[in-house]
Amino acid sequence: MKLFTKYNRINITATILTFLVGSIAFYFVLDYVLTGQLDRSLRAEQQEITKYIKEHDKLPYIPETKHQWIEVEPAVAAVYDPEPVTEETFNKLEREKEPVRKLIFTIPAEGKLYKVSVYQSKTETEDLLQLIILVTVCMIALILLSHYLINRKLMTGIWKPFYKTLDSIKAHQLSVKEPLQLGKEPIDEIDQLNDSLNKMTSRIHQDYLALKTFTENASHEMQTPLAVIRSRVESLLQDAEGKERTMQQLLSIEDAVLRLSRLHQSLLLLTKLENRQFHLNETVNLAAILKNKLAEKEDLLTAHKLSVVMNVEDVLLNFHQHLAEILISNLFSNVIRYTPEGGCVEVTLVPGYLSVKNTATGDALDHDKIFQRFYKGEQSVENTGLGLAIVKEICLVAGFAVTYQYIQGKHDFTIHFSS
Amino acid sequence: MKILIIEDEVTLKQTMVDFLSAAGYLCESVSSYKDGLEKIEYHNYDCIVLDIMLPDGSGLDILQLLKQDKKTDGVIIISAKGALEDKIEGLQLGADDYLIKPFHLSELSVRIAAIIRRKNFNGHTVITAGNIQIDTNGKTVTVHKQQVDLTQKEYQLLLFLVVNRNRILSKNAIAQHLWGDDMDFPANYDFIYSHIKNLRKKLVAAGAEDCIKSMYGEGYKMLVP
Repeated sequence: MKLFTKYNRINITATILTFLVGSIAFYFVLDYVLTGQLDRSLRAEQQEITKYIKEHDKLPYIPETKHQWIEVEPAVAAVYDPEPVTEETFNKLEREKEPVRKLIFTIPAEGKLYKVSVYQSKTETEDLLQLIILVTVCMIALILLSHYLINRKLMTGIWKPFYKTLDSIKAHQLSVKEPLQLGKEPIDEIDQLNDSLNKMTSRIHQDYLALKTFTENASHEMQTPLAVIRSRVESLLQDAEGKERTMQQLLSIEDAVLRLSRLHQSLLLLTKLENRQFHLNETVNLAAILKNKLAEKEDLLTAHKLSVVMNVEDVLLNFHQHLAEILISNLFSNVIRYTPEGGCVEVTLVPGYLSVKNTATGDALDHDKIFQRFYKGEQSVENTGLGLAIVKEICLVAGFAVTYQYIQGKHDFTIHFSS
Repeated sequence: MKILIIEDEVTLKQTMVDFLSAAGYLCESVSSYKDGLEKIEYHNYDCIVLDIMLPDGSGLDILQLLKQDKKTDGVIIISAKGALEDKIEGLQLGADDYLIKPFHLSELSVRIAAIIRRKNFNGHTVITAGNIQIDTNGKTVTVHKQQVDLTQKEYQLLLFLVVNRNRILSKNAIAQHLWGDDMDFPANYDFIYSHIKNLRKKLVAAGAEDCIKSMYGEGYKMLVP
């Protein structure tokens, strides 16, 4: 929900409620005042009649009007302390039932006790009240409308800088060299927001740069000692001639160094991918890379007695040459590693997707786990277990979608070029 | 053949000096940017082994100065920074080759040999090992003046063995030289064995001595005087 809508909703509800409560209170106050007025005129009438009877000792003749009439009848018992009451009575002149205010009192005249009922019509009071309510409702409607219009005009204007800020945040990329720079705004809150955002992004930017430098330095600091170990091992190897056990031990050290170095490079690549440090602005011929990589791996394919079926069309993508090579190389390596001897590898490249299928040794792989880091189909120490994680991360960076399926005894890895 | 090594990691530098000296090169070494500049100002080298990250400067700057002075020293960059941009920048600045740490010394040696061949003989040189002769320009191998028909991989393998003659080369080193860093199958190096077997067969058939020795199946060594 938009802030403006939310604000309007609360505002309108509050206004309506206030006006309702106000109107109800107004109604009762007005009713009270008008009834009081009627009561006073009823009392005045009573006094006039009493006064007339005292002077003339006979009932006066009082003509009936539309809003006041008097009924006199002989009384059975005296009424003390008469109080006016409200009730519905038939108005003879108006020929309809209407609400009235009635005062009944007893008075002795001509030697008899009479009960005198004075009626005052409340119709006019009711009419007045109705009118007042109508006016109130109209006022509410008018006020709400004006509120709405003013707010809409004002709010959109006032919130414009906010949306501007929002747009710049949306468009901001961490890998860009400059941190976010939002301008000054006349409204304090927005200005504070911009200021905080500027500070925050510049801090994030510094952290990002520090991280970037760290990964690069870490690479340097790690690979150099590894280079020392490797070169020393190689030198030692020359002295190990004739000592089979020593040589085997040295070679296992060399293997470990190699693995460590590869593992480190892979993790570094993953970090760089996660940091979005690659710009995908090269036109890459995927078919050419496929053929190259296949030629490179030919020895391996032959060694594993794998047959390859290629169905490749020319596909040009806006991508990154190096990443494309890693992507395809990792896919191939994975396939070669896990295809049983004498198995078949099918590579299909058409505009839209690249699919690599291979004969499976066992059942379907775990969909959720295969793209996880350090997940290995079988416990082998040789591979890093990062190959497919890198494939997935590259696809994520490039906006591709990579899927795995198990179809009729074959593993199928497919990369869709638009996700 | 004079080689200058500019590398700040002393142990690594010393290992390289020992190794390259043993391979018959005349080695000098420095461990800082400043000393490196001094050396290249007064001397010429056949090849300079250059580390990019030095404590007091960047190896790329040394490379730039070399090229500004129109020096013809061959340069091979060794760097821990595997980042592609660095590699491209290094090669664009005029380096002859780029090797990422950690590397095999045998790999360094074969690359230096290639650079020196290119610089000194315009790539045209014949390497002799026993009665085997390798013409690196035409990429042909002859034994007793008779050409041996080798595949590309067998040729590369032979050259690698010959340049690193009388040294034990591990399967890892051979695999990395022939198939590059992409090669991540240490478990299955059987195909190296088959390449070696084929190469030996062809050389012996042509009348060469069988000088490639297997070291318990873990490595190989070419024994030539």
